[in-house]
Amino acid sequence: MSIKTAYSTKEIPDAITDLKAQSGDCRPRAVIFFASSKYNPVELSRQMQAAFPDACVAGCSTAGEIASGKMIGESVAVMFLDEETVGQTASAVVENLREGVSVSGAFAKMERELHAPVSSLDIEKYVGIVLADGLSGAEETLMDKLGDRTDVLFVGGSAGDDLKFASTYVMIDGRSYNNAAVLLLLELKRGFDIVKTQSFQTTGKTLVATEVDEPLRLVAEFDHKPALEAYAQALGVSPKEASAEFMRHPLGLMVDGDPFVRSPQRLHERGILFYCQIKKGMELEVLKATDIVAHTRQAIEARKASGKPIAGIIDFQCILRTLQLRGEKRCDQYGAIFDGIPTAGFSTYGEAFLGHMNQTSTMLVFR
Amino acid sequence: MAGEIKGIIDTIIARRSKGNPTIALTTKTKFILKGIDPDRYDRASPDDPVIIAKVKAIAVEMGVGI
Repeated sequence: MSIKTAYSTKEIPDAITDLKAQSGDCRPRAVIFFASSKYNPVELSRQMQAAFPDACVAGCSTAGEIASGKMIGESVAVMFLDEETVGQTASAVVENLREGVSVSGAFAKMERELHAPVSSLDIEKYVGIVLADGLSGAEETLMDKLGDRTDVLFVGGSAGDDLKFASTYVMIDGRSYNNAAVLLLLELKRGFDIVKTQSFQTTGKTLVATEVDEPLRLVAEFDHKPALEAYAQALGVSPKEASAEFMRHPLGLMVDGDPFVRSPQRLHERGILFYCQIKKGMELEVLKATDIVAHTRQAIEARKASGKPIAGIIDFQCILRTLQLRGEKRCDQYGAIFDGIPTAGFSTYGEAFLGHMNQTSTMLVFR
Repeated sequence: MAGEIKGIIDTIIARRSKGNPTIALTTKTKFILKGIDPDRYDRASPDDPVIIAKVKAIAVEMGVGI
């Protein structure tokens, strides 16, 4: 098998021994891991790289892990990709995200490793994975800069810390970082697809952001009215009731009918804080939550029906979706969607595909 | 005058995608995420200098000479 997954709930160093044993005779070219915040990131990264010295080893801390058919916690979930799946690999760290994002150094490093400009890569064969510090607040700028630099598709998520909101980590080459992002470029010999799924329908109501504080991810006004008042009016509820609707009624930046979800986080003295930046002048659809399990199953079934094989999936799943599934006691049903498919993933503090978004699953599907 | 915004957007998408429909679609999505919806502009759209400056800045960011 060219893609293997494993997980361990043991402590370091036994977890590493356990994962190494589960990798069996797989000689991975790439090892991608997602780890509970219970693990010391410095030790975890060092020992993971030491266990797989010939592989490109990268990972991040999480707010919950996903391993084939299971949503789990307090574990390390791993995907092993061998040479049947992965050809060339390149990796880099983008540091100091909060101080201003520059990807030039990272691209120069990856180009040296690939012996080719990133602009020359076949976008059907090469995919980018991005794992960012989930507390950096810089993911929008990072994704914007990646998109400016290359047409290679980057997919990924923001690292978590089990809802402590204290510090999140990205890890690569035996080291760990915060205020940073890890970039991977993988040549996938059989190709890949990206599935982006979110469980919402449009309500037909729109709001235009007319006053914003982008860096703060704050909207002060929609339609030239105080943001909360306009949001409440769109939902037909009182401003006092509106914040209780945030989870079920986020906003969607629509791209050909497909929403890039922007989730309200909480009230602020100047408006509504979101988990994602909204630019002045953006028109957003008011969304209504539907069934996460049904929608995700539909997305995976549609992918299966395309006739292309599914050799494995990395699922970058929003923590807000996970919290909803936990509240509905439907984690088992969600996990079962991936039965029989080698799957690894984690509950994120934000999802990445072309941009940064919320309440979404972005999935890298290996053919 | 009208149509300059549409012209610049089309040029950026064409030069960036070089006829690849996937890249044309992802470039359009990148425009929307940057706050400019290409579908809102056509040959009759007024030449708003603020929007023209924005799309020219996007051209620079994307490495496309206009």
